[in-house]
Amino acid sequence: MSRRVYLDHNASTPVHPDVVAAMLPYFQERFGNPSSVHTFGREARDGMEVARGRMSDFLRVSKEEIVFTSGGTESDNLAVKGVALARGGGHIVTSQIEHHAVLRACQFLEGQGFEVTYLPVDGDGLVSPDDVRRAIRPDTILVTIMHANSEVGTIQPVEAIGPMVRERGIPFHVDAVQTFGKVPVDLARFGIDLLSFSSHKIYGPKGVAGLYIRKGTKMVAVQHGGEHERRRRAGTENVAGIVGFGRAVEIRGREMEAEAARLTGLRHRFWAGVSASVPEVRLNGHPTRRLPGTLNMCFRHVESESVVLGLDLKGVAVSAGSACTSGSVEPSYVLVAMGVPVDWAMGSVRASLGRGTTEADIDYVLEVLSPLVRRIRELSPASVA
Amino acid sequence: MNYSQILIDHFRRPRNAGMMRHPDGVGEESFDGCGDLARFYLRVVDGRVAEVRFQTYGCGPTIAASSAGTELASGRPVTELLTLGEAEITEAVDGLPAERAHAAQVVAGALRAAARDSLTRRGSPSQAKESEHV
Repeated sequence: MSRRVYLDHNASTPVHPDVVAAMLPYFQERFGNPSSVHTFGREARDGMEVARGRMSDFLRVSKEEIVFTSGGTESDNLAVKGVALARGGGHIVTSQIEHHAVLRACQFLEGQGFEVTYLPVDGDGLVSPDDVRRAIRPDTILVTIMHANSEVGTIQPVEAIGPMVRERGIPFHVDAVQTFGKVPVDLARFGIDLLSFSSHKIYGPKGVAGLYIRKGTKMVAVQHGGEHERRRRAGTENVAGIVGFGRAVEIRGREMEAEAARLTGLRHRFWAGVSASVPEVRLNGHPTRRLPGTLNMCFRHVESESVVLGLDLKGVAVSAGSACTSGSVEPSYVLVAMGVPVDWAMGSVRASLGRGTTEADIDYVLEVLSPLVRRIRELSPASVA
Repeated sequence: MNYSQILIDHFRRPRNAGMMRHPDGVGEESFDGCGDLARFYLRVVDGRVAEVRFQTYGCGPTIAASSAGTELASGRPVTELLTLGEAEITEAVDGLPAERAHAAQVVAGALRAAARDSLTRRGSPSQAKESEHV
């Protein structure tokens, strides 16, 4: 079998072996329902509460402020709809480049009579804190801005937005699915009231995530059927997943800083290599305010999916910025919002590095990428003068 | 996305790729709502396709279908290409996922356009058709 290089860690990550080991007893030995009063139930609940403690330690909040959910999408929905529906009406401020979990939730709320302002971003993908300030109205009930965009990796100035939003007494939600466990998130300093974070982006299992809800934040549950999670999220908890998530967070607490520095170095090596060997390529996202391991590039006159397929045939996994679905292809809405011209945006490719990525991996990708792009361009009528 | 081995082979080693100088016919097709574009060049001798080349911008399946399309067209009477259908292109790459069906549409359309162009250049399509039977 030829070499395999996985550069799609923003999509999902392999589960850390220690996480798997921590989870295993919760499938067959400590399998009880954490709501049950008997020993089996208590064992499950104890495991879950240890994990909750690890979350609260990591975020420096109280355990009661952590709610477990089934994924980042549910966390975002609970945050946005939970706050909005508790108010019954009003105005929400968000950005044009949020994850669809936030955008679609906002669109749903518009259908219920809420008003939403979708703020633009600049060429680097940054939301302006001044734009947020200007967008806030007397009836604004929520500001929701992501911490980092999954596609381009730009880290938003939430440290400037949050305190300004709190001054006005408005809840501030941050989708931190792509930053949690990768870069520091200081909830108190950033003035964050609600924070979405996920497990499978940080070497934990899929199907489990969390939502931090600051004490005193007014919200309602959006899922009903039980008293779980302090009545904020009905449904039997994914105990094994939560235990694994807890272990993953504990590991990230130890490894995050060194890993961020290492990935930043690898990303620089990657981009230096690409920009030196491939003509007509551009880097997307902010040059410095970005996720350590995320590199998003546009290859002009190349359709991104052909690069993804070509690299896949060489054992390399990356993701396409534009996806051709049902005969309709549109450039990434994030790149469009950033003002990237369409003929560039159609050729956007994201490589997201992780703890298993090595220098040798990057060098291998560089070795196969340049001839691949050249070959695809040679096939294209657009590249012929 | 699951692609056939034949499709992958055409993507990996496209046949008859590149521009042709002084072709006897050129045809293009693009797909609405999708950036894919295929262009085919034909060299025609005695009413048959003596040489065919393509240039394509698009996803992997469209590139592969273009390559397969050149093999289908090669050696055939030009008039046959006027009625070339998507099904034949799809079959030539051993099937396409439903969401990539447009690859065959683009390629078949471009080959038909190239055939029409070559017949137009030679004279009226009806004259050209008669000559095929000589």
